[in-house]
Amino acid sequence: MNEPVRIQQEDFSQDAEIAALKASSLRIGGIATFLGCARDFSEGRNVSEISFEAYGSMALAEMRALREEAITRFDLLDARIVHRVTTVRAGDNIVFIAAGAEHRAAAFDACRWMIDQLKQRVPIWKKEITPQGEAWVTPHP
Amino acid sequence: MIRVLFFGPVADRVQTREMQFDHTPGMTLHDITHKVGMQYPGALSIVSFIAVNQVQVRDKQLALHDNDEIALMAKFSGG
Repeated sequence: MNEPVRIQQEDFSQDAEIAALKASSLRIGGIATFLGCARDFSEGRNVSEISFEAYGSMALAEMRALREEAITRFDLLDARIVHRVTTVRAGDNIVFIAAGAEHRAAAFDACRWMIDQLKQRVPIWKKEITPQGEAWVTPHP
Repeated sequence: MIRVLFFGPVADRVQTREMQFDHTPGMTLHDITHKVGMQYPGALSIVSFIAVNQVQVRDKQLALHDNDEIALMAKFSGG
């Protein structure tokens, strides 16, 4: 839980992640967060479940590098990234990103940058399970 | 020994998660991708990223060393 970057099967608590972020510095004046969660509909099909797979060691190393880059690039005071790798159903949490900065602009910018970079750089794949069958997801731009 | 790892959609097409090849002097990344491609052309066609020892590489002339770990990966879709 104290590790700011994690890949895990189990669900996470946004409150606990934000509390950990706030505890890292009393200079934080703004925290922006992104929560990615599972949808029940995609590309015109109902989705029953989404199954995730990762190249675990590389994914974790890339997420750690991404966090360090964000802290430097946006002058953050701290950041956290948690991604679940398991099978989820509609409404379940998938990924959580939080950026803490002195002011809101940097926090907002960093949060968006981190999720955009994660999608491009972190070796994780998702497969949608639908009543018609299973299909690996083609990434969206 | 060179380990070649497959994940997600690529693993589905290769129908395995790992292959092993004997390392030979002068072996390059291209030698490995060529071997895999000959056996599974459909799998290689969706490979967008290659990592050697968990670092992305683009130069297929990269010399390989014994015990290197290669990953042939489709476009990522996490998040």
